[in-house]
Amino acid sequence: MLRFITTTRTARVNTFTITHTHHDRAEIVHLHGYLDAHTASQFERDLRVIIEQGDAHVIVDFEHLDYISSAGLGVFMVFIEDIRKQGGDILLAAMRDNVFSVFDLLGFQVLFRIFPTVDEAMAALSNNA
Amino acid sequence: MSNDIYDIVPLRISPLTHNLELVRSYIARAMTSTLLTSGEQHGIVLAVDEACANLMAHAVSMQPSHDIEVRVAVTPQDIVIEIRDVSEAFDPRTVEQPDMAVYFREMRSGGLGIALIRRVMDTIDYLPASSETPFNRLILRKRHRSAS
Repeated sequence: MLRFITTTRTARVNTFTITHTHHDRAEIVHLHGYLDAHTASQFERDLRVIIEQGDAHVIVDFEHLDYISSAGLGVFMVFIEDIRKQGGDILLAAMRDNVFSVFDLLGFQVLFRIFPTVDEAMAALSNNA
Repeated sequence: MSNDIYDIVPLRISPLTHNLELVRSYIARAMTSTLLTSGEQHGIVLAVDEACANLMAHAVSMQPSHDIEVRVAVTPQDIVIEIRDVSEAFDPRTVEQPDMAVYFREMRSGGLGIALIRRVMDTIDYLPASSETPFNRLILRKRHRSAS
């Protein structure tokens, strides 16, 4: 008889949280956990609030992001046009290899600047001042 | 493709996005004994996640009771993942691939899941439900590098 692994487990392990800190020239958004089709709507909602209330520039800190799928990438596309029209930008920083690979597979470096560290992203903003 | 190549216990989930983490952990566990690099394994997990997420997003006719079933077979030559569903047939191979230069120039959003699957997997096959097989079958295959 064929057996199946079924979804009796309900507790989520792959959670996603977002925090942010304000710096002189940018909002720094820290992502934690797993950004997928389930959590992307929360990310979009939270990022919208941060952008509307904060600085024109956003630096996204990926250091603690374990996973991203195309749903997560799509959130950046939602905001990039408007934020650039307002003279700002979204800079991406501190990605782990597996997260960077998703951006890289689709060539997102064409549209977004990706930095090894948040400090380097901050420095780039200062140099543009 | 015969069913008996799937020697790992299948995963059956309801078509809700909170189950994507179960899909990812199921696929990751299936690859632990393979020679695939961590990068290749991540790519395969991503492709299956995208395929299931796409199914959940677009299968508007799908009822919560209409489970998605994921099967994995690991052979010396390749890894094969089959995703079965009973929603309206949708062949992802028919979706026109985005020109990323145009995509970025026009700052579009969405529609990248299938593009990612194509970039990661070696082959994508799709068999819609029929009188003999009452479910759609999306079959993703990745060859082991040593078998290429």
